[in-house]
Order: sequence, then C-alpha cells, then structure tokens
Amino acid sequence: MIGLSLKGIHKDFGSVRAVETTDLDFAEGELTALLGPSGCGKTTLLRMIAGLEDPSGGAIRLGERDITALPAHKRRFGMVFQSFALFPHLSVRENVVYSLVISGTSKQDAMDTGERLLDLVQLKEFGDRRIGELSGGQRQRVAIARALAQEPDVFLLDEPMSALDAKLREDMQVELRLLQQRLGITTIVVTHDQREAMTMADKIVVMSRGKVEQVGPPQDIYHRPANAFVADFIGKANFYDGVVEKGGVRVADTVLTRDPPAGFINGSDVRIACRPETPYLDSNDANGTRIKAKVTFVRDVGPARDIHLETEIGPMIVEYARGENQRDYVVGQETIVTLPTDGLHVFAKPGWAAE
Amino acid sequence: MSVTSPAETAARTPFLKPLIWALILFLCVTPFLLIFAVSFGHKIEGASWEWGFSFANYQRVFVGASWPDEITFLYLQKLYYSLYYAVIASVLAVLTAFPFTYLMTGLSRRAQSAWLVFILASLSLSEVFIVMGWDVLLSNRSGLPMVFKETGLTAWLKEVGWFDTLREWGLANPRNVKFKTSVFATVLTMAYLVWPYAVILLYPPLSRLDRSMVEAAQTMGAGPGTVMRTVILPSVRLPLAGAILLLFVFLLGVYVAVTVFAEPAKQTMAVSVYEAVRGNTLNAPFGAAQAVVLLITAGIFLVLGQWLSRRGTS
Repeated sequence: MIGLSLKGIHKDFGSVRAVETTDLDFAEGELTALLGPSGCGKTTLLRMIAGLEDPSGGAIRLGERDITALPAHKRRFGMVFQSFALFPHLSVRENVVYSLVISGTSKQDAMDTGERLLDLVQLKEFGDRRIGELSGGQRQRVAIARALAQEPDVFLLDEPMSALDAKLREDMQVELRLLQQRLGITTIVVTHDQREAMTMADKIVVMSRGKVEQVGPPQDIYHRPANAFVADFIGKANFYDGVVEKGGVRVADTVLTRDPPAGFINGSDVRIACRPETPYLDSNDANGTRIKAKVTFVRDVGPARDIHLETEIGPMIVEYARGENQRDYVVGQETIVTLPTDGLHVFAKPGWAAE
Repeated sequence: MSVTSPAETAARTPFLKPLIWALILFLCVTPFLLIFAVSFGHKIEGASWEWGFSFANYQRVFVGASWPDEITFLYLQKLYYSLYYAVIASVLAVLTAFPFTYLMTGLSRRAQSAWLVFILASLSLSEVFIVMGWDVLLSNRSGLPMVFKETGLTAWLKEVGWFDTLREWGLANPRNVKFKTSVFATVLTMAYLVWPYAVILLYPPLSRLDRSMVEAAQTMGAGPGTVMRTVILPSVRLPLAGAILLLFVFLLGVYVAVTVFAEPAKQTMAVSVYEAVRGNTLNAPFGAAQAVVLLITAGIFLVLGQWLSRRGTS
C-alpha cells in the first residue's frame, strides 16, 4: 500500500469554484473521512482522486508517482458508489470478479478471488443470486467486495451508508472499519454524517463551501474545533456572541471566565461555543462561571438526558449521560449552571476561526 | 348541483361500456377480417372480383399459379426482399441511433429537450416527402453522383481501383457512380425514415441508465470500449432488440421508398399488394392473400421477439 497526496488541487465548474486549493496527505493504511454538508465539494474531491473528474489545477501523487493526468481506468482505485452501481445483468459473483475478468485474469484465479471476497463480506452463499434479489446491506457488501477485487492502492467510498436504514448503517460502519483495518488499505470515505466519520476514521477532513476547514483525528476535531463551523457541524454546541474583556468574554451582562484566558485584544467581537456535556447544574465543586437558569424542557432519550435552559446569556442545552446526575429536573425549576473555564471555545468574529 | 360518480353513471347506463368495447373491436378487427375474407375470393377477368372460398390465391403466393405443373417462387422472393430490406434498415437505424442517443443523454437537460423536439418534429415529414428528398440527393443527374463527378472523386475512385468494386456492388455504371436503383439507396432511405423512431425508442432506457455504473466500471479498469461492451450494451440489450423488432415490422410495409429506389426485380411484397389492390394488376383477392401472408410474417417475428425477451429476462 502507498500513501496518496494532493498538492494545490482545485476544481472550477465554469465560474463557480467547487473545490478551493487543497493540500492533503492520506497516509498509507489510514482511513480518512471527508466530512461536510451537501455541496461542500467533498464528492468532487473524491471524484478527482478517482480520476472521474479532471482537476482544474494542482497535482495528485500516489507515492512518488504523479497520477494527475491518469484516467480512472488506469488508476484502478476501488470505489463504492452512493447507489452502489452494481451491474444488474450480472450475478453477484460476476459483479465481484468483473475487474479481474476484464483484465484477463484466468477464470480459475478470478473465481478463487471471488469466493475469497464473498467469504470476506459474508456472502458466500449468495454468489449465484441476481442483484435484484439482494437487500440494501447485501448490495453494499457486494459493492465493497467488487471494489476490493482488483486489490486497489486506494479504496474510495462515496456516501456508502446513505442507502441503508439507521440500524444497519451503524452495524456496517463498524464492519467496514474492521475490514479496512484487517486489510490495511488506504481508504477515503465521503460522508455528511459526523457519527459515521467519528466511528470509522483515523483522520477527519471537515469541509465547507469547497474549503478544508480542519484536518485531524476525530477526538481532536471534536474537542478542539478550529472554528465555529467545525464546532457546529461536529457534535452539538451552545453558541454565544460576546466581547473579550480581561481574558474572559462578556455576553450580555455576564463575564464568562476562561482558563487559559482568551487570547484576544480587549473589545474584540468573538463567538463562544460550549459543548452540552461540559456545563454542570447545581454543582458547588465545579470551577467556572455560575449563571442563574430556568428549566424550559427536558428530553430523556434513555442513555442521555438533555436539559434545556433559559439563562441570562441565552438558551442553553446541558446533556447528562445516564447516572451522571441523579437529580430530577422539571420544567420551570430554577437552577444554577456552571460553565467550566476550560470548556469554552472562543472564535474570532471574521470567519469565526479559533484563537 | 349533484355530483355523480363514474360507478353511478355505469349503473344507470349498463349498456354503455359493452357498446364502447364493441365499437372499438369493430373498428379494429373489421378491416382485418374483411381482408382475410376477400383473400379467399377470386378475380373476374375484365371486371371486379367476387366472394368465394378457395386457397388458390395462397397457393399462388407460395408456389405460383400454375402449380403443380410449374413451380415459381416469385412472391416468396418479394417476401424475402421485404424481410431483407427491413432487417438491414432496422438494424442500421438502431445501430446508428444508439451512439447518438447515448451521447444525447449525456447532455444538459436543455440540450436534450431541444434535440428531442427537433427529432419529434422530423417525424411530421411524410414518407413521400423524405423519399422525394433522397430521390433528388441520389439521382444520377443532379445529386451525389454529380458531386462525385464534378469534384473529381469519381476519377480518383477509378484511379485507386475502387470504382470496379463499386460496379461489382451495382453502385456504378461505366461512367460514374450511381445510387438509383440499388439496394444501398433503398436500405439507406428506409433506415433514414425510421431513424427518429429509433432515437425516441432508445431514449427512455438510455436516459434511465445509471451513469455511476459506467464510472464504476472505469474505476475497475474498463476503458471506453470495454465499458460499452460489458456494461452499457448488456444493460440495454432488451430495449435494443425491442426497437429493432418494432422498426422491422414497421418497415415491412414501406411502399414509396421501395418503388423509387429498388429495381423492379427486387421489389417487396408491400409494393405487390398495392399493385394488386389499386395498381396495374387489379386483383383484390390476390392482394389480400399477400397482405395476410405479410401480416402473419410480422406476427411470427413479434411472437419470436416476445419469446426471446422473456428468455432474456428469466
């Protein structure tokens, strides 16, 4: 397996720039998720990597080799499409060994590889079925097996879970990740689902409006978002606009203290993000800014409880995992919420980049 | 105002539905039944014809009027030319319309609509009009042969020796190339005649074709030729065969193009039917018998096609 790198890649459709100039490295054997909302350019970026779209500029390198001008059929990166794109006129086995048959591999070798791959994706009994006879999850496995048959240097998946129902999706995320780890293949997954990205990826590339917003391991992205967009897109967050004042941030009449102090000049307009699991309710031990609050709604979904509050600085959601806080909260109840000093992310106003 | 449902209307007029069905059936079936009945009649020399019940007309179609003393396959030969022209022209039309339609479905919605409107509009041209145009284009004095001669193409063809090949194929006389009369001109005009139909028949299956299948094949190492051979053609093989079959049956009945472009010895059964019914020979029962044979031939091909497509899908 070889790593892949993009240098100055960008894509224009007419006068519209779909992907801004991008530099990215995909390490050997690593699973990277391209994550972002619809229309952020993640699929276009993936298609450029696959050779299905010509970049308007920049270079794509596979190891030491420049493959920018190489057409898709010579790159031979295995790709799983959103619609799976299986061939309905071929059986499951014929779909899986397609790449081998057209490249002239002997029939026996092709069939052996086909059996091995069908076994790998737990479809050994389904080789002779037609595609129309398979369920969504089975189709996805066929698409994965088919893309892996040619032993590609890079494995690409474009929203592979979007055609599956919620339960199956979670199972397949784990299954795909285990398979990828077992094969140690450099993999790039396009998704708009942050849970999917957090479940599977070694590294997440967060994109918005054709631009890479942040690159990093999932936990880094979640706990240290580079800007307000990332904080908002990855997980949930309470947002407040304020002004920097003596290392803290003034929101309405309250100054929220922060440790380390916000690194902005006094008077700067900033936006604060606070993950719902970081504030405390009615805690005397927590170190932070204490604010009066009133419960407006309680959402109990079993493993976690969201308590919606109206506070002096605006509405806030506080999330408690089951067993974390034994107290009962009812609508209308008065309470005190503590915003811990280390739980506030402060972003500068223009572009809302992190300090 | 009271509103009556269709069910209530049907209950109040119980005879309306059967009446409509009877009318439709009458309009559809009567002409065929009439032709079928007439085909058993016989001609009265110098006059018209009269009803009867003899297989003489069918005998004449298959083995000639003087059978068993003498056997001729003149009319079977005409049937053969009907099939021959129709097969080649329908295959030619579909094979040329296929790449065009495939490329068309890759264009923007706007461009596709423009092309479809243009092609639909060309359907309004009658056979007579189209044949007239091709007649001028292929005529020896004013059409392509003149262009060949004036531009020196004829001289060049003679120089490189291809002119003799064209003569062997019946596409040249000693002086210049000629397209009238020839199988080439007949088939070409017939293919041109049904080409818009071919595009319209192929457009729905090709526009529904999942383009990501093509891209998937590319990422698996398939070049453009392999993609066409292993993905696109197999995916649309049934609509392709269906289009060829439909145009083939339609072309069995072509009249004007054959009378203008085919030499007298290579004319089709449709021409012979017309001549028997309205033209020189004036023998309605014999014309009717030929029409029935043509109809049954078309029916056999349709059934065969249906059977093949059922085998293809199972």
